Amino acid sequence: MTPPTTDPRLLVHAYLDGELDPANALDVERQLADDPALAAERERIEVLRRVIAERLPRESAPPGLARRIEATLGLRPAAARTASHPSWRALAASVAVAAFIGSGATWLALSPGPTDADMVVANHMRALMAPQPVDVGSSDRHTVKPWFNGRIPEAPRVVDLASEGFPLVGGRVDVIGRTPVPTLVYRRRQHLISLSEAPASRMAAMPQGQIAGYNIVSWTDSGVTYWAVSDVAAADLSAFEKAFRAAASAER
Amino acid sequence: MESLDSEDDRARFSTVVLPHLGDAYALARWLTGDRADAEDVVQEACLRAFRGIGGFAGTNARAWLLTIVRHAAYTWLGKNRSASLLLVEDLEAVERQQASGASAFGQDAQTPEAGLIAKADAQRLESAIAELPVPFRETLVLRDVQGLDYREIAEVTKVPIGTVMSRLARARRRLIERVATDEAKGGS
Repeated sequence: MTPPTTDPRLLVHAYLDGELDPANALDVERQLADDPALAAERERIEVLRRVIAERLPRESAPPGLARRIEATLGLRPAAARTASHPSWRALAASVAVAAFIGSGATWLALSPGPTDADMVVANHMRALMAPQPVDVGSSDRHTVKPWFNGRIPEAPRVVDLASEGFPLVGGRVDVIGRTPVPTLVYRRRQHLISLSEAPASRMAAMPQGQIAGYNIVSWTDSGVTYWAVSDVAAADLSAFEKAFRAAASAER
Repeated sequence: MESLDSEDDRARFSTVVLPHLGDAYALARWLTGDRADAEDVVQEACLRAFRGIGGFAGTNARAWLLTIVRHAAYTWLGKNRSASLLLVEDLEAVERQQASGASAFGQDAQTPEAGLIAKADAQRLESAIAELPVPFRETLVLRDVQGLDYREIAEVTKVPIGTVMSRLARARRRLIERVATDEAKGGS
């Protein structure tokens, strides 16, 4: 996005939200390096975003609301409609609580161990070094999705992006912190993209960035945080994000 | 033919609207501040959405529904809490004045330790967000709670992206100051 303002105090928000194009993001990074007050503000904003994502309980519609609405509108009751990720969330929440207690509750205090981003990158690097980057290799999402059943509480959303230039390679289970998460692998020309997902209550999305030469984008959609990591160009990874989000929302 | 159309509308309603009911309810609750009121607002919004479903041609069902929910919530607020809406224009005028006086983000802005903000618990965050004026609150909730991007927020709240940016920045700044003050005062 080309920002409608040049005020760095505003742009730092857009930067953290991943809304800036690479040139403008670079500009903000330069200003952050030169301006300690701005850097401190960036830190405050990041912490705020993080506590909101992690501490605020996610609101879901009261049970029965969908049915009442359908009844009002004269639609048939949708018996099959239930909360989308109950078991997955419950498990992840308990793991998150355990991790929180286990770490003496100091993990938010800005001198943490590896961040989620570090772990996502580490998983990707490990996969590239393994004989196979995936545990189930298939370009057919109807093969990949069921493979997760029984391995993790909730199979991930798997969409077909071959027509967008990102054919599916397969999937594997990664571990972030102590949480097993589903990871899908897509291909862009000769490069692989690892896409991990976890409940937003467990992992907050971070600004677009780079770790050890790998580009990372993350976003949150319907209570799930997605992390994509790859050595493709940042613009390609953004295109991947866009394609995935569009396909996922078209499916919903 | 009429029955075929309405059959079609029902199917579309189920696939377009119902998957986003949770987000719809959450936004309504943040805007009205009350669970029962939020349900009323969502019911009303769904009724409007159902009537307008034939006109929904876009790809972003969530943003479309949230736009309707927001509208329904504003109607509700106008009837029941008109005071909270009157503020919108006044508020932005005040903010602009402050900004031109360079104090909104200037030297006298509070610079609390990030660690202080990290201590805020859910209750403190929730009440601090609830105290934000509506335009700031909805922008922050759409971004930081519901994860919409700036373009979607601009669409839902019907303002330019630049306004989204400044509202979001101000909402976060107010929260930072509020939460840090509370934490410094109240301890844990």
